[in-house]
Amino acid sequence: MTGRPFMEPGLEEPILVIDEGRRDKLPPGKWVRRHLFNSWHNTLVTVLLVLLLGYAAYRFGLFLFVNGRWSPVRRNLTLFMVGRYPREELWRIVAQVVIWSGTIGLAWGVAIAGASFRASQTGVAYREDPLLTKVRRYWGLLGLLLLLLLLTESFGPLILALVAIGVGALLQVIGKRVPGQYADLMWAAVGVLAVGGYQIVSGFHGRGWIWMATPLALGAVRLVGRIAWTDPRRERLMQLGVVAGVFGIGYVAYSMLDLEGVGWDHWEGLHLNLIVATVAIVLAFPLGLLLALARRSSLPALRVMATSYIELIRGVPLISLLLMAQFFIGFFLNTTTPLSALTRAIAAFTLFTAAYIAEIVRGGLQSVPKGQIEAGQSVGLSPFRVTRSIVLPQALRAVIPAMVGQFIALFKDTSLLSIIGMAEILQVRALVHAQAEFRGFGIAETLVFVMLAFWAFSFTMSRESQRLERKLGIGER
Amino acid sequence: MTDTRARSAGRRTSTVWYRNIRVRRAIAQVVAVIGVITLGWWLFSNLVTNLNRLNINTDFGFLGRPTQFQIPYDEGFNPRSSVWSMVLVGVKNTFLAGSFGIILATVTGIVVGVSRLSSNWLVARIATLFVETLRNIPPLVVIIFFGFALFTFGPFPIITEADQYSFFGSDHNVLILSNTVWGIPSLIAEDGAGIFWIGVLFGFVAAGLVARWRTGVFDRTGRAHHRVILALGTFAILAFTGYLVAGDAYSLSWPALGESGRRIVGGLQLNWGFIAVTIGLGLYTASHIAEIIRGSILAVPKGQSEAANAIALSSFQRYRFVVLPQSLRIAVPPIINQYLNLMKNTSLGVAVAYAEITSLTLTSIGNGRPAPQSIVVLMGVYLAFSLTISFVLNAYNRRIQLVER
Repeated sequence: MTGRPFMEPGLEEPILVIDEGRRDKLPPGKWVRRHLFNSWHNTLVTVLLVLLLGYAAYRFGLFLFVNGRWSPVRRNLTLFMVGRYPREELWRIVAQVVIWSGTIGLAWGVAIAGASFRASQTGVAYREDPLLTKVRRYWGLLGLLLLLLLLTESFGPLILALVAIGVGALLQVIGKRVPGQYADLMWAAVGVLAVGGYQIVSGFHGRGWIWMATPLALGAVRLVGRIAWTDPRRERLMQLGVVAGVFGIGYVAYSMLDLEGVGWDHWEGLHLNLIVATVAIVLAFPLGLLLALARRSSLPALRVMATSYIELIRGVPLISLLLMAQFFIGFFLNTTTPLSALTRAIAAFTLFTAAYIAEIVRGGLQSVPKGQIEAGQSVGLSPFRVTRSIVLPQALRAVIPAMVGQFIALFKDTSLLSIIGMAEILQVRALVHAQAEFRGFGIAETLVFVMLAFWAFSFTMSRESQRLERKLGIGER
Repeated sequence: MTDTRARSAGRRTSTVWYRNIRVRRAIAQVVAVIGVITLGWWLFSNLVTNLNRLNINTDFGFLGRPTQFQIPYDEGFNPRSSVWSMVLVGVKNTFLAGSFGIILATVTGIVVGVSRLSSNWLVARIATLFVETLRNIPPLVVIIFFGFALFTFGPFPIITEADQYSFFGSDHNVLILSNTVWGIPSLIAEDGAGIFWIGVLFGFVAAGLVARWRTGVFDRTGRAHHRVILALGTFAILAFTGYLVAGDAYSLSWPALGESGRRIVGGLQLNWGFIAVTIGLGLYTASHIAEIIRGSILAVPKGQSEAANAIALSSFQRYRFVVLPQSLRIAVPPIINQYLNLMKNTSLGVAVAYAEITSLTLTSIGNGRPAPQSIVVLMGVYLAFSLTISFVLNAYNRRIQLVER
């Protein structure tokens, strides 16, 4: 198997990427002979497959362009995206798309700045991928976006897409320009933007201040650490004061503002799928991390409890947990007011995902060589410091691709919300076909559209996780 | 000299008690256990309070009472059958769909996984297309898709005009296809089946003994062991003897359209929910298994193949003795994990009204059975199954794991 060497930033040696198909540069005639007709049975297989593929392409093309009745999709695009979300509040979601696009752009830019900083330290020139490579890398998602824009009947979505991409690109450029020593402040800004994008829909009220104050406090602590006159002996105290101050201000600000948004019981469609997957993985990560540490712990009581939780959850299908959440999770709590259906569903998703994340992190912990821990102990670090400063950074770096994989699985699993009757994108089909004009009309077409939506996101993310895996060099040593 | 040594030995015991590592470990564990117990007690007391407040009874007596509903495509079940028998029907159907799905997933997965490494560009690309399409769509959507593609919009006629296929000159149907139920021939156990299975059991045990004996001979003398062929031969001979002794162990049952033409009698009837679940989950899981197979073959270092070539092994020997044993060690645990996932995913049969345990439980909750107990039973069924498999898997993993220090 021949490979194509290429350089990744921050690595001294070129990685050999196994890339079937497009490898050696041969003239077309020779290429065809070598890859399609190199023996009689390969010739036979090729001819048969070309015939079969041609027929399938013909039938599929016929369905797409001639027979397909796409009007149920075209007329209900908004319904597929946000469900029955109140239309007069739609501006919130528009703002959310723009803000989150900016968030992603900023995070991306800061990450690039960090990578090029590290590359310059190891003496390797950082080379950013050209635009065409990026387009090729995200073609699944870009294709879906293009298709949506082609299907729409107004210019609103086009303008939204352009603005969102523009804001994202702008913030990416800003993120790249910020000098390396401000990276942690930039990450705090990313956090603030992410939470802000969420709360522009949910509203700046209630307990939202906790979420907003967390990235703010982290940023402020870093800022305090930079101020020269800080007495190192009082640094802890200063930090504590800053955190308390930020949280206090956040609390007061939120209770004074009290801007009501749209509660998440009204969130539906593809928007709901994405939100549930994101919220669940964010909530499940700390829980999963703790479970993994407990399972690897040398203390038998912790180990047994963590192991039984993980095995119990992994032993049952997600849908049974969702049913439990729907029917009787409320009985375990000390409230008489019932929790909303989405809260219960997200609780089930979080409890479920935590067990799987724990197993992923455990794999990462196992991949850290024993010598690393012993080295830490030999310089006199406490068990806590060994875990925090030596084991976890290496372990978590190794599990990033698997975490992306878990996020994909979670995103796909959000389709199960339809079974407990929540209007995520698959269930929106039921709403569409309940409309008088589309009753029993274009059922296959709406299903294909939903499949495409799931596919575009999962495919792009899985490509990205494979790229990360190569980039981080997992399995290379 | 001796004086200082004695003094330093004396100092060793003078650590403050709360810095003693054993005390700390004990305290950490006691705190953790107390924390979890408090949480559990809080949840449990809330449960009891709420159940008392809402007047919900928590006994499992409903399992013995009639279900009062009909399971579609199940003739042996009537509304007077108990909830417990409904659970058994659900378990049976879960296993049925799961085992057929596992067979389909394994075969397709191996074919596709090897195809991705084919030297034929077109074959490799089509295999990639298959994998990248199927594994990026939720299994629920895949199942619904096959339900639609094969049945709702499928090419098959309604049951009264079902396609019937038979061998030439035979009046038995081999296959009946309609848009709701398919019929295939099946085996029916006769009186002698028990004796036949005893023969099979003996064959199994004897085959194991033969394999061990030949392995022992090989280890001692290095002579060719032929253990696979000898063990299989022993098994076949004993099982066949059992069949002969039993007389009529099994007879064939052929599917046919019933009197009214509205249903199939005889043979094995596969309803559309079953087929959608089996094919949908089979192909979905196949896309994952294909990736595992491909990865595990690629993971064997190239030097191993080259070494095999260097000592002039044939291409078959290279695969059989060098590449496959190493790649299987990598592939088996994740593949068994996929089987487990497939078994749990049969719960998605809810979407196509397949009568497996989850959808039956949902129906029975809809008919007024208490939800908490029903779901506890449901989870117990899945847990019993998963824990068994994962116990076996862990034991296997421990055996093959390479131990670091």
